[in-house]
Amino acid sequence: MSILSLNNIRKNYGPIQALKGVSFDVPKGTVFGILGPNGSGKTTMLGIIMDILRPTSGTYKLFDQVPDETHRRQIGTFLETPNFYHYLSATQNLKIAAAIKERGEEDIPRVLEMVNLTQRKDSRFSTYSLGMKQRLAIASSLLGNPEVLILDEPTNGLDPVGIAEIRTLIKKLHLEGKTIIMASHLLDEVEKVCTHVAILKKGDLVATGNVNEILANEDIVEVGAADISKLKMSLERLSGYNSIREQDHLLQLFYPIGATNLESINRHCFNDDIVLNHLQLKKKSLESKFFELTN
Amino acid sequence: MTKLLKIEWLKIKSYNAFIILTSFFALGVVALNYIVYSVNKNMFSQSGAAKMLAPFSPYNFDKTWQTTTYTTGWILLLPALLIMILVTNEFSFRTHRQNIIDGLSRKQFIDVKIMMTVIAALGATLIVVITALVFGWASGTPFSLTGIAHVGYFFLKALTYNMVALLIGVLIRRTGFAIGVFFIYMGLENFISQLLDVWSIKLRRDSAIDLGSMGDYLPMNAADGLLTFPDNPLKGMAKGIMPTDYTYIVWTLSVVYLLLFYWWSSNRMLKTDL
Repeated sequence: MSILSLNNIRKNYGPIQALKGVSFDVPKGTVFGILGPNGSGKTTMLGIIMDILRPTSGTYKLFDQVPDETHRRQIGTFLETPNFYHYLSATQNLKIAAAIKERGEEDIPRVLEMVNLTQRKDSRFSTYSLGMKQRLAIASSLLGNPEVLILDEPTNGLDPVGIAEIRTLIKKLHLEGKTIIMASHLLDEVEKVCTHVAILKKGDLVATGNVNEILANEDIVEVGAADISKLKMSLERLSGYNSIREQDHLLQLFYPIGATNLESINRHCFNDDIVLNHLQLKKKSLESKFFELTN
Repeated sequence: MTKLLKIEWLKIKSYNAFIILTSFFALGVVALNYIVYSVNKNMFSQSGAAKMLAPFSPYNFDKTWQTTTYTTGWILLLPALLIMILVTNEFSFRTHRQNIIDGLSRKQFIDVKIMMTVIAALGATLIVVITALVFGWASGTPFSLTGIAHVGYFFLKALTYNMVALLIGVLIRRTGFAIGVFFIYMGLENFISQLLDVWSIKLRRDSAIDLGSMGDYLPMNAADGLLTFPDNPLKGMAKGIMPTDYTYIVWTLSVVYLLLFYWWSSNRMLKTDL
């Protein structure tokens, strides 16, 4: 079963195309990351799914059904900013959320405890720090222990301890079999937490699939010799790498992480009568991968 | 709807502005009517001129309905202001989005707000009825339902004020700005209303076309126009000049405007990005 399926969703703001026909499915039981730089359309997309924005065209389904408010009640959602009544306390705010979601109020102490807000549960929302507001929003999305969570930049504004706590929480919920859809501009976060990912770039879906495939890291070996074409012919007979590319009078060999052996490359070339003038192992950073995908 | 109203109650029950504006209104109704009552009783009716016009006691039964509803009409801005604050709060806290994300439909969100305008209007009407009864009995006259239609007009007026406030709140979204627009709109409507009234008189005088007081055909003035201070003998004489009763046009228009406001604010919430 798909928790969410998008079918060619478009959203225009006047002449600006925020989403240019995005389609993908979120399978049940995954931690699905929606990754993209600021302004790539992540929040717009989640806004459409939650019926606070109208798509220009396209359709989507929740739980394989035409979506309505009853589906939204089964999903714990925290979108963009923590939205609460400033003059009410955490508990009073959560009572409203619980009433809308048709969940019992008895769950409120549990979720407040999960985000460490029990001590401040009777303080007005307006007195909260940014991190506390963020945690209250996460608590609200956990109300009633929903099977699906949609979290938009959940670690935004949290301190390092808070970030670690939220990530641990997401992993724990995943182990309980819940589906979590998480938007983030932090590649590192997606890589650490998610099982699947969809990458958005200026409203286009660049890639979607298993995290290990999409964000696979590679080691790069740069090799240089006086005669590049001879070197290339020689290296094409060498096995063990994924791909080869020529750049700036050097050849780049892409290896799976840890599978590189510089000595054997050197020996192979030497046996082919080629003397290398350049041999260097480069670790490809996640950031450069991100830039590669989104630029 | 009960569930939705319960949610609205959770939002407002410990909200200071709600408590203050509601108490102000309730006290204001009593205070304002008491002032009119005592001025009339202690000063006006003692003067020579008034004695010539007598017997005119605005809080006697059959007049009390009209007097209290008219007098209270002056502070109907308070519940309207409350409605406007409650609606624009949702936009400034962005809770209108959160409510829908959490599982209200857009229609439920706006329907319960409209229901709140009805409840506020009913509440105001109830207070007015009690006040009318108390002052009526205090005047020592026998109970009478003559003129009870004014209670209905009062309800229409209260609902119109609240619905205009709701509509402006939904369209403008920012509290301060919305309140400003509300007052500017009222001023503008009154101005146009005056022009239309002058035009009505001219038409009647120059062309013998009687269209009533056209100033009363605008949304908020229609609601206002239904409520007037009880006719004293002087006004009775004035009536001779304007013989036709256009009340039914005015209240029909009131209802039509209410339907228009209902459609407009619903449509806005249902169709646009939130």
